[in-house]
Amino acid sequence: MNALPKFLTGRLFLGALSIGAVLLAYTAVTSQPDNNPALLPPIPHIIGSFFTNLSAGTLLDALWASLYRILLGFFIGTSLAVVVGCLVGWYKTVEFLVDPLIEAIRPIPPLAYIPIIIIWFGIEEFSRVLLISIACFMVCVVNVIAGMKNVPQVYVDAASTMGASRFQVFRTVAIPAATPFIITGYRIALAAAWTTLVAAELIAAPSGLGFMLQEGRRYFLTDQVMMIIVIIGACAFIMDRTFRAIQKRLMIWSETRE
Amino acid sequence: MPEIVVDNLTHTFGKGGAEALTVLEGINLTFENGSFTSIVGTSGCGKSTLLKMMAGLFDPSDGEMRLDGEVISGTDRRRGMVFQQDAVFPWMTVAKNISYGPRLRGASNSEQREIEAKWTEMVGLKGFEDRWPRELSGGMRKRVDIGRVYANDPDVLLMDEPFGALDAQTKERMQTDLLEAWQQSRKTVIFVTHDLEEAIFLSDRVVVMSARPGRIQHIENVDLPRPRKDEMRLTDEFIQIKRRLWGMLDH
Ligand SMILES: Nc1ncnc2c1ncn2[C@@H]1O[C@H](COP(=O)(O)OP(=O)(O)O)[C@@H](O)[C@H]1O
Ligand SMILES: [Mg+2]
Repeated sequence: MNALPKFLTGRLFLGALSIGAVLLAYTAVTSQPDNNPALLPPIPHIIGSFFTNLSAGTLLDALWASLYRILLGFFIGTSLAVVVGCLVGWYKTVEFLVDPLIEAIRPIPPLAYIPIIIIWFGIEEFSRVLLISIACFMVCVVNVIAGMKNVPQVYVDAASTMGASRFQVFRTVAIPAATPFIITGYRIALAAAWTTLVAAELIAAPSGLGFMLQEGRRYFLTDQVMMIIVIIGACAFIMDRTFRAIQKRLMIWSETRE
Repeated sequence: MPEIVVDNLTHTFGKGGAEALTVLEGINLTFENGSFTSIVGTSGCGKSTLLKMMAGLFDPSDGEMRLDGEVISGTDRRRGMVFQQDAVFPWMTVAKNISYGPRLRGASNSEQREIEAKWTEMVGLKGFEDRWPRELSGGMRKRVDIGRVYANDPDVLLMDEPFGALDAQTKERMQTDLLEAWQQSRKTVIFVTHDLEEAIFLSDRVVVMSARPGRIQHIENVDLPRPRKDEMRLTDEFIQIKRRLWGMLDH
């Protein structure tokens, strides 16, 4: 490895190399004369679908509809998770009271709630946001609790002997010490939000990226399906990167910053 | 006037359970106001346990401790503690660590700056105020730890092997610095160590403990003159005390 020039072993170059290889292979397959574009649309078709939907406004409408649901559900779910997780992780009484409940609900995949939510609340915007909130809450709360429980005892003891009240210890020690876990919880919740969103929109939505996927399947618009998949991947990627940047900033004090 | 009294203290972890472990038994000690006492003993004899109970982090299963006649229960800023482990908050800069205690009690920004300036200087960390703990060496972090407890101005200083993890040179320098600071403030210091030389060099009195369960085996008054100088470590008197105490420790 040492003999190779540095840029040849760098992250950027190798990443571009692997993505480029996949695109090239895909192009090679789709340009075969016997390729059926309805099954494997060539890349120009996919790009064409992107511009068609962009100029028609359908793509942006779907994108906003989905982003709105994701962000709202994510915000509600994670906010509740932080409050509940802190209380459960810090106060023994609350833990004994609430933890069995969380442990019982935790293994249930959020998508299992779709039928009951539809029965109770109908195919409404509220139902979709609720589902995403539940998904975000469940994955995030577990991390917040773990963070609270992993606060090193010696920090708690040090703060107490300096005269900190129980609440002051919570505010000045437990919260910062648990930040790495909490941020991880946020990132996992974001991924869960995307998963749940697409599933919810596939089943029951008049708009959104999941809806456009479903529409593409129904009318055999494979290029549209492919295009939406790429859009979802790009959005999720950008949001995760944003989070990583925030994480890096907040965790500037930590020795392991990744 | 006697300051801290440990009265017939016994502690058993998991009392009543199958794995009950009596760590300390029948401990009686008096710490005079302003005195410097070291406690030595092999590891596992219950030194940390004793110190944590004096800090009020948990109650003894039997007997009690009093500070100026008042039974010790629960933590109090009057009893500050330097822990055996690294307890510097990694999410605060050196300066913010130092002023942590005063900030808890609502010290104004200018008061905090003043305290930070004074104590970073005292523990020899001037210029490192805005560094993160991860950027410091183990010895420097211990200085932050000690400075933070000092800046909180307790009456009693409980120190649990504070220099245990340091190299010999750093350790000797920090011992000298500690004595200097103590000479000025005259706080009551209870200093746990397993290093006999350190104990003799620093203290008015060395308490030797035996293990399993921890009991007090011997109390040695150290009459070496103060201020103590590094050369004293090599005097006959010093070495005689060291030899005597060495024979008492469980080896
Ligand atoms: N929280 C605890 N629960 C049960 N046993 C403990 C606990 N803390 C310490 N011990 C045990 O008590 C004994 C004394 O420990 P410690 O006070 O840390 O000794 P020292 O500081 O003298 O090395 C050890 O055998 C240790 O395993
Ligand atoms: Mg110990």
